[in-house]
Amino acid sequence: MSIRSMLETVVGELGLKKRWRQLKARKQQLPESHRKAHDAVERYLMYAAGIADGAILTAMAEDLLELFEQGAADGTPVSAIVGDDPVEFAEEFARNYSEGAWIKKERARLNEAIENITHGDLDKLDHRKEES
Amino acid sequence: MGKQMTEMLKGTLEGIVLAFLTGNPAYGYEITAWLRSQGFTEIAEGTVYALLVRIEKNGLVDVEKRPSEKGPPRKVYSLNADGEKHLEEFWTTWGFLAERLENLRTEGK
Repeated sequence: MSIRSMLETVVGELGLKKRWRQLKARKQQLPESHRKAHDAVERYLMYAAGIADGAILTAMAEDLLELFEQGAADGTPVSAIVGDDPVEFAEEFARNYSEGAWIKKERARLNEAIENITHGDLDKLDHRKEES
Repeated sequence: MGKQMTEMLKGTLEGIVLAFLTGNPAYGYEITAWLRSQGFTEIAEGTVYALLVRIEKNGLVDVEKRPSEKGPPRKVYSLNADGEKHLEEFWTTWGFLAERLENLRTEGK
C-alpha cells in the first residue's frame, strides 16, 4: 500500500468518525417523539439494509436524520413521516443504499449465473420442444 | 391508505412527482402537501423523501440547497433534461397501460 493510499484510508475513516459524532449530536436536538422514531427506524435499517460499506452507511444515516430534522422543523408528526406502515417505509428508504449492501455480491452472482445459462448453449429446452 | 392504492402508487409516484416538478421547482414538504391536496391524503412524508433521494441519485433532478430559518437547509428540486426525458417515457408507458386496462374493462362488460 502506498503512503498516499494509506493516508486516504486513515483520513477517510477519521472523516466518517467525525460525521458520526456530528450525527449523534444532531440527534440529541430532535424533539422526543421524533428522536425515538428516528432511533427505531435507524435500528431497523442497521439490521435490514445489510450495508457493509462505511461511507454508504454514513450517508444513509445522514439522510434519515435529515428527514426527521426536516419533519420536526415543519411540525410534521411522526405518524405523517413514517406513514401507517413503518416497515414498508423503512424498506423503501433502504433501497436507495443497496449499492452498499453485502447482498449485492450475491445479486451479481445470481445474475451472472443466469446470464451464463441463457447466453450459452445450455438453454436449449425451448428448441427441443419445437423439434418434437 | 388502502393496500391496493399503496401498491399502485409504488409504480407511479415517481412519474407523478416528476410531472409536478415540471416548470415548478419545489422542496419536499411542498411536494407532500400538494400530493395530499390531490387526494393522496395518507402518503407518508418519508416515502416522498426516499423518492426524492432516489431521483436525485439517478440524476433526474437538479438540487439547490437554500438555508432555512428552522431545521436543516431546504433542498429545492427542479426537473432537468434527463428528468424530462424520463417523464416522457413515463407518460408513454402510462398511456399504454391505461389503454390496455380500459380495453379489458369494456370488453368484460
